[in-house]
Amino acid sequence: MGPPPVVTGISPKEGPPGTRVTIRGEFLGISVTDLIGLKICGCDCLLSAEWKSKNKIVARSGPCKGRGDIIVTTKSGGEGTSTVQFRGYHESVGPMKESAVWVEEAAPPSLPWGRRPMSPTAYTPPDPLGLSTEGDDYKFPEEELHELFPDGSGKLSDENFQPGWYLLEHHSNTSYEDLKAGMVFLQRKVEGQKEGQLSFLKANTGAVMDQLDRLVLLKNMYEEDQRKNGREPLPNLQSAIEESISLADSLFSEILSRKENADKTREALSLLTRHKFLFQLPSSIDKNIKKKEYDLVVNDYTRAKNLFGNTDVKLFQKILAEIDKKIEDLKENLFNRMKTMPINVQEQTKYIRLLISLNWDGDAAWTAILSRKDYLMNLMNKVKEHFKKKEEQESNEKGRRKLRDWECEGSWSATRADWCGAACGALASELHALWPLARRYFAGELAGQPTLPQRHTDLKEMIIAMVESFSEQMRGCLICTGASGGAGAGGAAGVAADVLRARLVANLRHLRDAYDSLLKLDLPSQPLSIVEKVIFDYRVHGMTVFLQRAHKRVKGLSEKETWKIEEFSDYGAITNLPHLLESYVNDALSAIHKCVLRSGRRESPLLAAGGEPLAALQRHTQHTLLAFVAVLRDLTMHHEDQDFNNTSLSVALDQRLEESAVETVSAGRSWQQRLLIAGANAQYTRRRTLANILTPFENYEMPKPLQAIQATKDELSALEDNIAEMYLEHKGDPLVGTIEPSMYMGRHHTDADTLLDDARPYVYEIINNLIAVHAEVDSVCGAASSRYVRDICETVCEELARLAACAPARSRAAAFQARLEYSLLRLAVADHLTRKAENYLMEALAGLPPLDNEEDKKRLDNIIQGFKKRMELQLTSLNCNMETV
Amino acid sequence: MRVNRRVVIQFTVYAFHIKLRVDANCLTMRTLKVCAAAASAMSKKPAAQPTLHKVIMVGSGGVGKSALTLQFMYDEFVEDYEPTKADSYRKKVVLDGEEVQIDILDTAGQEDYAAIRDNYFRSGEGFLCVFSITEPESFDATQEFREQILRVKNDENIPFLLVGNKSDLGDKRRVPLDACRERAHAWQVPYVETSAKTRDNVDKVFFDLMREIRSRKSDDSRAANGNVRDKVKRRKIKCAIL
Repeated sequence: MGPPPVVTGISPKEGPPGTRVTIRGEFLGISVTDLIGLKICGCDCLLSAEWKSKNKIVARSGPCKGRGDIIVTTKSGGEGTSTVQFRGYHESVGPMKESAVWVEEAAPPSLPWGRRPMSPTAYTPPDPLGLSTEGDDYKFPEEELHELFPDGSGKLSDENFQPGWYLLEHHSNTSYEDLKAGMVFLQRKVEGQKEGQLSFLKANTGAVMDQLDRLVLLKNMYEEDQRKNGREPLPNLQSAIEESISLADSLFSEILSRKENADKTREALSLLTRHKFLFQLPSSIDKNIKKKEYDLVVNDYTRAKNLFGNTDVKLFQKILAEIDKKIEDLKENLFNRMKTMPINVQEQTKYIRLLISLNWDGDAAWTAILSRKDYLMNLMNKVKEHFKKKEEQESNEKGRRKLRDWECEGSWSATRADWCGAACGALASELHALWPLARRYFAGELAGQPTLPQRHTDLKEMIIAMVESFSEQMRGCLICTGASGGAGAGGAAGVAADVLRARLVANLRHLRDAYDSLLKLDLPSQPLSIVEKVIFDYRVHGMTVFLQRAHKRVKGLSEKETWKIEEFSDYGAITNLPHLLESYVNDALSAIHKCVLRSGRRESPLLAAGGEPLAALQRHTQHTLLAFVAVLRDLTMHHEDQDFNNTSLSVALDQRLEESAVETVSAGRSWQQRLLIAGANAQYTRRRTLANILTPFENYEMPKPLQAIQATKDELSALEDNIAEMYLEHKGDPLVGTIEPSMYMGRHHTDADTLLDDARPYVYEIINNLIAVHAEVDSVCGAASSRYVRDICETVCEELARLAACAPARSRAAAFQARLEYSLLRLAVADHLTRKAENYLMEALAGLPPLDNEEDKKRLDNIIQGFKKRMELQLTSLNCNMETV
Repeated sequence: MRVNRRVVIQFTVYAFHIKLRVDANCLTMRTLKVCAAAASAMSKKPAAQPTLHKVIMVGSGGVGKSALTLQFMYDEFVEDYEPTKADSYRKKVVLDGEEVQIDILDTAGQEDYAAIRDNYFRSGEGFLCVFSITEPESFDATQEFREQILRVKNDENIPFLLVGNKSDLGDKRRVPLDACRERAHAWQVPYVETSAKTRDNVDKVFFDLMREIRSRKSDDSRAANGNVRDKVKRRKIKCAIL
């Protein structure tokens, strides 16, 4: 802010209003626009101010009176001060002076000493003292006079005349002598006026005579007039005037009446043209209604109401009543139209607006919302009815022939899919219409009473009711619960997998489309969550269906078992069962993944931790896997009764070999082989397939059903044990059973104390039997065969030990033989001996007396060497497995 | 008639009033002024309002009174001529280290306004009587102005400077320097030649005049405080002049 303006000079320093003054000073503003205020003696003179420089402003003074500061205000410096003052005065305007000031035109009051009032233009203040010679050389300052005589005035004619003022103003320089002379003059004048009529007449003789003459003249004229016109001329005059009036009336009455008529007609015509709009309004309303241009109708109506709304003219009122009736009809019509569904929302909004502008009493928008809601409900029901009927029809048509098929198709039928699509479409489109309508309604755009507290809740309930009915329907349509649940699940199997999948995806897409459109509407979360729940349930349902389907297929696996060996794995020969299981589970998972796992927008993930679906998935997986185990078990147990006799018959080695040969030739496999294959399958499944099954879970980012896998593993290993036991039971028992008879069979021959050069035949039998078992097991189980062979060896060794304990060798020869036999046996099965078996053998050997002579030892070695040489082939076959061969 | 009579009575009463007033006119003025000065000196702090020196520019029309004033006030030289009626200027200046206010009344030179001059002169404390050295008529007119001032102020020793303006127009000089000096000597006033255009001696004339006014004022206050008799005597003198 710069320094405030200071006015230090004014030129001129006084003047009447309108004086052009030059104001000088400092900081009077830095530009024209900087100057924002100028007051001279309190009068705002900014309007006339001309900014010349920061030291100079030229302006015109305002209508101020008296002394006052000159205050300049600038933007840059604020309000300023003044060291000089301007004095404004109002000039008394004389007749010869040019002036812009308004002069009061009222005549000046007559002066007491004037003989006659003077005309305003001729008026000059008289000099009562007769001292006019002096002139106004010196003026006594006016303000001092004001100070001296606060209430006075210097004007002779004023009520508050102050002689002192007058004298000071006009004669302040007059000498005392002159004043005395003036006094004498004044006194004389007053005296002269007092002197009376005579002197007055004397002074005015001429005028008096003149007046007398005039009076005489007047009198003469008056008398003449009276003589001429009699005393009372007025009645004559009146009658004459009246006569002339009546004559003029009769002359002009016709013309006047004609003119009057013409005027009326013209007036009526002009009225018609002027109010043409109103008169034509009823017909134009009809026309516009017919043309459906309701906006025009509303405009016209509003205009008519504004123009003639409170008219007093009967005709107008009549027309207005007619129009009102039409408008009422129109309103009714519009209201019905608005209510009548289906209608698109724009049109409905249009009708609502029209109704509002036509002052419909009701809450049009709310009615529209209600009707929309009813319509949606009806539509839903209709859709439901329609499709129910269609279903019935179809079932009737097909019913006779394919009742079962129909039942099976259940919720997966094409009709249901159509139904779902239709319902979704209906919901989406109707809510699309309803929600914006409601929103606009509550935004107050559609009048009515959206502020009613009840309304919001009503609307919310309405929407929830709608969405709920939709969800009910969809649930009924797509997710058969309760009684029909079994049919639904069963139905899944009836429909081809790809069809099922396509339907599921299609239905889901319908639902999601509807949900998406609802999302876009920005609906409140409650109805949304209802729809989302439906979708979610449907997804769960889909998942369950897929899993159930897999379960079922796995259950059906037992029929698919052909016992054809697919491959030799590390765990033995396996059929395609594990692979089928894997592929089934894989199929189900991929279907789940493809169809339902992916969450749509704003849907909760299907397999949320701790959620019901996840548990279901786990459960179903477990069921499926356990079903597979059950299938395997069934497969192994199934033939038990059949084959039991078969095996029990084969007491003798020959018989058995024969039989197995026969069975191998035949298409099927022997029960033992099946058992072994099943065992291998179980093991393979446990080790490999289950791990493989986990891979898709991982790939599809589903939580791994570890519990199910573990349970299955347990089951499988139990099954394996079971199988192994069973196999052993059926294989080992006969083998072991043959040892004793064979041993004693041989004893009869070798009772003599002959030199022994070979073991008894039972040893060979044992070895041969073992080879047979080994061959069988090895052909099936491969590397896993050792387990079975080992177990059998163990049993055999145990039996030997038992026999040895029962019949201790009494003779030296017998002891030697026994030693030989045990050694040979040990040699033969060396690779398959477990610690336990070894112990048994050692136990048996320990029971024999030791060899005491070198000869015997040598002989034993020789025999063993001979045995090795002879039995090389057999030993090799026993100690190797398929792969090495 | 009744009004007339009242007027007459009042006139008679006021005739005495006027006589007394006229009698005491000059005395009243002076006493009033002195009293006012004393009162203001007593009531107001002198620091708040610096001493005010009232200077009046007199001289014929067109000699450069306004030009001198504007040059002094605003350091500007106005070429175009516009007759003045009565302009008022006031600003603070430092006179010999003391801050004073100078009030300049720039009067009209034209004869049309001669009637109202008396009024203005009365309030003046010092006068710059300006003439143009290129215009003998204006030099002659100074005589009249001098007389009028003396008549109005009733004081031979009123601070007064005779100023010969337009000294820059030396080649057009028509009033001899000697004549000027002679007249100044006769009046016992200083004579200074100035040029409003070149600002030659402009400050000098104003400051010289203010110094005279200042010394005159201090004389007066001494007289007012001390010498009562002198005051009485002066009054008698004035009565005689009137």
